[in-house]
Amino acid sequence: MTERLWNILTDSFLKILVPGLQMTIPLTIISFAIGMVIALVVAMIQVAEIPGLKQLCRFYVWIIRGTPLLVQLYVVFYGLPRLGVLIDPFPAAVIVFSISVGAYDSETMRAAIQSVSKGQIEAGYCVGMSYPQIMRRIVLPQAFRTAFPPLSNSLIGLVKDTSLAANITVLEMFMATQRIVARTYEPFALYLEVALIYLIFCTVLTKVQSVCEKRLGKYGKR
Amino acid sequence: MIDYENISKVYNDNRVLKDVSLHINKGDVVAVLGPSGSGKTTMLRCMNFLEKADVGTMTFDGKKYDLHGISKKNMAAIRKKTGFVFQRYNLFLNKTALQNVTEGLVIARKMPKEQAVEKGKVALDKVGLSDRYDFYPSQLSGGQQQRVGIARALVTDPEIIYFDEPTSALDPELIGEVLLVMRRLAKEGITMVVVTHEMSFARDVSNRVVFMEDGEILKDVPSKEFFENPGDDRIRNFLRTLTS
Repeated sequence: MTERLWNILTDSFLKILVPGLQMTIPLTIISFAIGMVIALVVAMIQVAEIPGLKQLCRFYVWIIRGTPLLVQLYVVFYGLPRLGVLIDPFPAAVIVFSISVGAYDSETMRAAIQSVSKGQIEAGYCVGMSYPQIMRRIVLPQAFRTAFPPLSNSLIGLVKDTSLAANITVLEMFMATQRIVARTYEPFALYLEVALIYLIFCTVLTKVQSVCEKRLGKYGKR
Repeated sequence: MIDYENISKVYNDNRVLKDVSLHINKGDVVAVLGPSGSGKTTMLRCMNFLEKADVGTMTFDGKKYDLHGISKKNMAAIRKKTGFVFQRYNLFLNKTALQNVTEGLVIARKMPKEQAVEKGKVALDKVGLSDRYDFYPSQLSGGQQQRVGIARALVTDPEIIYFDEPTSALDPELIGEVLLVMRRLAKEGITMVVVTHEMSFARDVSNRVVFMEDGEILKDVPSKEFFENPGDDRIRNFLRTLTS
């Protein structure tokens, strides 16, 4: 490797990592947190079969899962201003990613809640608990454990999907890399470098996931 | 003490319960016998609203309730005074043995936690599990799980405990420990309705046998009389197939 290339890579490392820590990670965490709240509410509405709202939830999931994330970003950031709705890049990205996470993970949560055996709910009723109490104390903790691996998957997916936000001018890792490439013209090495940083982020998450799974698994299998 | 009148239930054109009535006195230990598919379990589940009866009434604490139209509030109020033991235990999988027993006290009845834990330990001691407080259901044998199930039903001092085939899911060598606990409860005068296939329990422990077939109560007599003088041919056949 030439010395010039090596210098570019070492110089750019921090220049990519810092937007990663300042943008990619906050964007991921905030979007995932809001998305999980949406997912939980949407899943519960469907499980409880609340008429009207249930159909609305199905519609939401259908639209979001059936359209590309990139197109959704464009609609919100470049499309909505036509209707007089101007949103800054970062909040626009948070809105789109949260809604997307909410749609996908509501299905994960719904399946997990429905996988908890009916006997658990009946036993809850028989000891005098109400439906909300049973949900909160018995069903959701078990459902969450079942849903944990697929939810981790979605979190890891989101880390990488945030690179799409470069398209709506959010200065996150990928956009930072693109700028350095434009200046130095070393696309191969620099894009590999940013890929490596994404890989490091995701590796950390994978480790955290396996530690959490061990702790969640303490009450064993059925 | 508790009267059920005219319970009927239809599942897709199949009449599972046909106008069944049952009067339970304080201290009764009622064994509900009958071939499978005779409606025993459905009757028991209707009694605690786990299934919705199409028709029927329940008189409890001097008040009469419509089993079909009963409000959620009344259901919850009655359930707080009754206990239910399931065939497949249905212990809360995310809770320890002690938490399983205290959950209904702390969450449903708002009992202070220390008091609930105290009561829960007494209940678990009673079913012989004083060394298993902190075990999760997955770490317990079937017999132990079912004894936690009984402790969970017992801990609230219910007026009646319903048992739905409490030993049917157990390995033969584990049945004895569960029956022993139930025998002890019967001796203490706890009112019980037990759907079972255990003839020894029906003969030696229960004071009444209700024999069901085809969604109807064919016989409701003292246990002694049931076994000494079955009368009906269908009952004789049933007893013969079990003992052979």
